[in-house]
Amino acid sequence: MTDLAQSTLDGLFLGSSYALLALGFTLIFGVLRRVNLSFGPAIMFGCYAATWTHLNSGAGLLLLALVTIAGAVLAGAYVERLCFAPHRGGSAIAAMVASFALWMQFEELVSIALPRHIYDFPPLYAGASLSLGALSLRAESLVMLFAAIAVCAFLWWILYRTRFGVAVRAVIDQPQAAQLAGISVPRIFMLTFALASAIGGLAGFLTAASHEQVTPMLGMWFTLKGLLAMMLGGLGSLPGAVLGGLALGLLEAHSQWFFGPQTRDLIAYALLFVLLAARVPWMTTRSAS
Amino acid sequence: MSLLKVQDVVTAYGKIEALKGVSLEVAQGSITCLLGPNGAGKTTLMMSIAGILRPRRGAILFGGEDIAGRAPHAIVARGVALVPENRLVFPSMTVLENLHAGAYQRGDKKTIAEDLEKMFGRFPPLKERAAQQAGTLSGGEQQMLAVARALMSRPKLLLMDEPSLGLAPLVVEEIFRIVAELHKDGTTIFLVEQNAHMALKVAEHFYLMEQGKVSFSGTPGALAEDEVIRRAYLGSSKA
Repeated sequence: MTDLAQSTLDGLFLGSSYALLALGFTLIFGVLRRVNLSFGPAIMFGCYAATWTHLNSGAGLLLLALVTIAGAVLAGAYVERLCFAPHRGGSAIAAMVASFALWMQFEELVSIALPRHIYDFPPLYAGASLSLGALSLRAESLVMLFAAIAVCAFLWWILYRTRFGVAVRAVIDQPQAAQLAGISVPRIFMLTFALASAIGGLAGFLTAASHEQVTPMLGMWFTLKGLLAMMLGGLGSLPGAVLGGLALGLLEAHSQWFFGPQTRDLIAYALLFVLLAARVPWMTTRSAS
Repeated sequence: MSLLKVQDVVTAYGKIEALKGVSLEVAQGSITCLLGPNGAGKTTLMMSIAGILRPRRGAILFGGEDIAGRAPHAIVARGVALVPENRLVFPSMTVLENLHAGAYQRGDKKTIAEDLEKMFGRFPPLKERAAQQAGTLSGGEQQMLAVARALMSRPKLLLMDEPSLGLAPLVVEEIFRIVAELHKDGTTIFLVEQNAHMALKVAEHFYLMEQGKVSFSGTPGALAEDEVIRRAYLGSSKA
């Protein structure tokens, strides 16, 4: 029983990082109707920018977090300009393939700057885990959970309480009418990319700090987890992204506990396959924000 | 004095020219109506004026300035608003949010609030449903919302693409009553309409478009006199 509770708790913490990644993915997908494969690699680039800063200065954690976010936003803006701005209204496949090409660029770039396969990243909290009765929880996990909740609240405020949010939702809902209402769609694309990359950057920093290491493989990891969580939650739905992220985290934690660590990803992908093959309604019909 | 002057505009989809050199004028303060069969290029012309489509050739003068090929938001900023065909409200946003989206380029909260009150006065069903998602409104209510959303940008020229499409006759009359009111308040209106009987009651000038070209230009009287047009658009009996 305690084990079940423990893995549920672990799953929620893990899932809150997936939820952040899925939120970033969903924002981009909802507004542009394009899959950005370079979303994860751009975040990985931000993590490496922070690692480089860490190696070359005595920067504190807060500064490293800001460097990660800034790096992810910069890389995200580069992806938007190169892959998505030229194909606006054009081929979705062309944009997606172009974003794959930039993925390779980011991996090469960080490998040239920092050639080892793994670098240490400073931990968020060096002390022992906290215990809650029989359950134990790591401080990073709590930070991750609170960050996810804070980002959700912040996003909700932006989307439902600001003029920018009205514009973003208008573009998601009916892009042509948004243009006719005087909303500059290219500008909203760019700002959405920046916002999504900043959220991804935060998730990236928290992930790197809780793994205490970075590798170029992080790019693929961020993209796969975010994409999977977004699809589980229903394409284009922001609340769905959060639920999808949490569901993925729980699924992974429980399957690890039931069947062992090797099966963790296997079961997640098998479930995605089954859900896609069964065409469950919430995954095939796009619900709006 | 013409507010809008379209000069020899060619707009194409790939190799197919939907507009083959269209020229027409909309006088300041008038209601001008564009008639024509399906596929004549009426919607293409509206989209070209609003900046959604980029003309390949020709000029679109609004208040003397050429706006052809400018971005849609830049055209809205100059005072042109299009109520698109099929209304295109933002379905998952509330009625109130739809109206706010229409006022996107305006900064002053006070005048926006005043205009919201004005819209609710003019379109009472919108006030009742202010907090409701726009996708749940009836066709007529969505049309009202689309018109109100366009008006929230305070346009000098209101373009309307088939506002009566798919609406019940009573609702169509309501829409045209609103068009007449807006005109009385000084808004210049350029209207695409299949419903020639309704258009005849309000419009001061008519253009007929066929196969990407303007084939007739004249007053309601001249339109009703024209034997061919009467047969095609007003039925065979003399109006």
